[in-house]
Amino acid sequence: MAATTELNFFQEKKGLFSWIFSVDHKRIALLYLYAILGFFLVGVTLGILMRLELLNPGKDLMEAKTYNQVFTMHGVIMIFLFIIPSIPAVFGNFFLPILLGTDDVSFPRLNLLSWWIYIIGALMALSTLLFGDGPADTGWTFYAPYSVRTGTNVTMSVLAAFVLGFSSILTGLNFIVTIHRLRTPGMTFFKMPLFAWALYATSWIQLLATPIIGITLMMIVAERVLGVGLFDPAIGGDPILYQHLFWIYSHPAVYIMALPAFGIISEILPTFTHRTIFGYKAIAFSSLAIAFVGYFVWGHHMFTAGMSGAARIVFSIMTFLVAIPTAIKVFNWVATLYKGSIDVQPPLLYALGFIFQFMIGGLSGLVLGALATDVHLHDTYFVVGHFHYVMFGGTGFAFFGALHYWYPKIWGRMYNKAVANVAFVIFFIGFNMLYFPMLISGLMGMPRRYYDYLPEFHLPNMISTYGSWILATGLILMLWNLIAGFFGPKPETGRNYWGGITLEWQTLSPPPLQNFDKMPEIPKGGPYDFENNY
Amino acid sequence: MEHHSGLVLPNSGHNRDAEASKLGMWLFLFTEFLLFGGLFIVYMVYRMLNPEAFLTASYQLNVTMGAINTVVLLLSSMTIAMSITAIQLGNSKRSIQFLIFTVAASLVFLVIKYFEWSAKIHHGLFPGMDVFNQLPHGESLFFYLYFFMTGLHALHIIIGAIFIIVVIFRTKNGQLNANNYSHTENAGLYWHLVDLIWIYLFPLFYLIH
Amino acid sequence: MKNNTESHNEVVHETHIVSYKEHVSTLVALLLLTIMTVSISVFGANLRSLTVATAMLIATVKVIVVAYYFMHLKFDKKIYTWLVLLVVVLFLSFLILMSIEYLNR
Repeated sequence: MAATTELNFFQEKKGLFSWIFSVDHKRIALLYLYAILGFFLVGVTLGILMRLELLNPGKDLMEAKTYNQVFTMHGVIMIFLFIIPSIPAVFGNFFLPILLGTDDVSFPRLNLLSWWIYIIGALMALSTLLFGDGPADTGWTFYAPYSVRTGTNVTMSVLAAFVLGFSSILTGLNFIVTIHRLRTPGMTFFKMPLFAWALYATSWIQLLATPIIGITLMMIVAERVLGVGLFDPAIGGDPILYQHLFWIYSHPAVYIMALPAFGIISEILPTFTHRTIFGYKAIAFSSLAIAFVGYFVWGHHMFTAGMSGAARIVFSIMTFLVAIPTAIKVFNWVATLYKGSIDVQPPLLYALGFIFQFMIGGLSGLVLGALATDVHLHDTYFVVGHFHYVMFGGTGFAFFGALHYWYPKIWGRMYNKAVANVAFVIFFIGFNMLYFPMLISGLMGMPRRYYDYLPEFHLPNMISTYGSWILATGLILMLWNLIAGFFGPKPETGRNYWGGITLEWQTLSPPPLQNFDKMPEIPKGGPYDFENNY
Repeated sequence: MEHHSGLVLPNSGHNRDAEASKLGMWLFLFTEFLLFGGLFIVYMVYRMLNPEAFLTASYQLNVTMGAINTVVLLLSSMTIAMSITAIQLGNSKRSIQFLIFTVAASLVFLVIKYFEWSAKIHHGLFPGMDVFNQLPHGESLFFYLYFFMTGLHALHIIIGAIFIIVVIFRTKNGQLNANNYSHTENAGLYWHLVDLIWIYLFPLFYLIH
Repeated sequence: MKNNTESHNEVVHETHIVSYKEHVSTLVALLLLTIMTVSISVFGANLRSLTVATAMLIATVKVIVVAYYFMHLKFDKKIYTWLVLLVVVLFLSFLILMSIEYLNR
């Protein structure tokens, strides 16, 4: 076979510089992957330390201020360094061009630049651990006026978030242009895989929401430098305006985190049910609808902050509207499973775990979006439980699902599937044990962001902390299994390990530098039409 | 690279694609617009909360200087648009002349801005200065926004001018020509955006009496 | 946008070259609008909120002229105009939501 003489993109060039200055989208994706996993593990460690502190009431491990710094750092790392770039920058970079049947993104050098900006921003964020007056203790939201008064190193953290935003914008810009310009001949918008649709919607949010947070953070920096600022009540400023500007970005950012995960699920499900996705157009358009409506719901983060009543009602209604396209997706995924020939493999388990947990996260989100109930639950552990279900139980699981799904394609190797299944079960049990009690303690009234709590909240907190250990065990087992796959004899993974029909399965594993060794063929009857293609 | 199958995909990311480059520039302009957009939101909210104070404060700005700067920017917008026409027609030399005129206009703009700013700073109106701290609430917000927004705008003027200077050099050594002028076009788009922002800044700060 | 199979070093799309004369007339229009807005502000004082509304209206007309002629929106593919409108609608929605909030405080 002529194909066996083809060098894959790993073999094309050697040495560190061939990686960190590579303009190949696949190498950049892997650079992101290694960096992101590294930061993720730092974030997990901080999270486990927080759970350890909360094992018992009272001070166990750290001072109140240290705890504040730890949860701020945990938030900054998990939001800006892990979840926002996770799926787009790793799997989007690697697979978007391949799924579209092209050899790279539209602006390969810009792509490399955006990785470098990401690394610089990440180092700036982490530098607060070592230099200055300690990491910020404001929470990842940097709410004024505390963020301009506190003595900790908020300026550096805020600048880091600004720089990281740039990286996010450039990636989004690159993807939009790529999708418009580089689809292989014959691939119309409605023949694109749904992951590409999800990335398209995500990229628009990255592009159009991030600048607002950029300028807002600059106002915080200006206030800290000049000693007087736009949100300073001393000159007539309004601190709540900061919250508005912050959430104008940060609520759409929630969809930057969630939409790519939806895309991953829409890829995994057809492959392991061997049937076409149910409601292709509905899923594609719902991504755009979520992206659009998601811009107008930011106020639900501030129901108790002192907004006007009229605005609160409008934002609450909009919040319920955004639940509709999200539910459309979930129904379509479940309908895809119906009467499919389901092949239970590790990636599918992660997808199913996603649907289950995202549903809990989504429904608890409606409780928070409703004006009346939010007043009671605002700033309780219910909120913490809710967003961990959505972000970690949702996007986190989709990320690891994607890693298991595309592992044989990226590296041309395979992990032990039995171990992967066991790791998933442990991970899944640990996750739910860790976060479900938070929903309960939140309903009981336990406030978030304290290092201490009343004795009556002891039980759920204990269960949570035990859950965090189980989760960590599952995570370590999963990562060990993935790493172990690199060693030992190389199994024959072929071009199409799982029997998928999107374009990445038509090329070699790992792909050659120019992605394809023969012209990719667009599947007849749409990207998931198994009946006509098998 | 003899191991390659030699496959060249039709829509490659490594082709030169003027349309992609223009689309990319427009998308970047959107982010720039929304960057200022955040400040326009702040302006609107504070003006809604302090209408009288904003009115009083705006009388302290020099309408003549603002108007001259508006004309300068409009003029430079025309010259950079003309430089694109020139390079499309294959006249690189004239294109460069128009670009040089645009850069000169940007300098005039900055010099006028410098005099305006120094006059205000001389009166102690810069945030944190004594006079500023004693201003009534809304007026101090007005001046804070004035410095923040025109300062950010001036920064964009500088970036735009550097962009144009790079284009001048690339036109000079022939890299940009009648067949490949997307950088000239993009510099033009960027410069027009800077102009657009100013078209709103001028009435919002100078003309709201 | 689709099915573009242009190869290397080839400018495929039709370009409309705007003449110098057209640029000059655009500038004249913009200058007239500037004179208008300045004179309304300086001589027609005490119109208060009406002045602001007219100033914003004139500025918007100027912006449309610049975008349409100088920035070639008139001659480019229609998708650029649609995208610009999308961004404008988005930003106006921000302004409207913020007004709902602050006018009802």
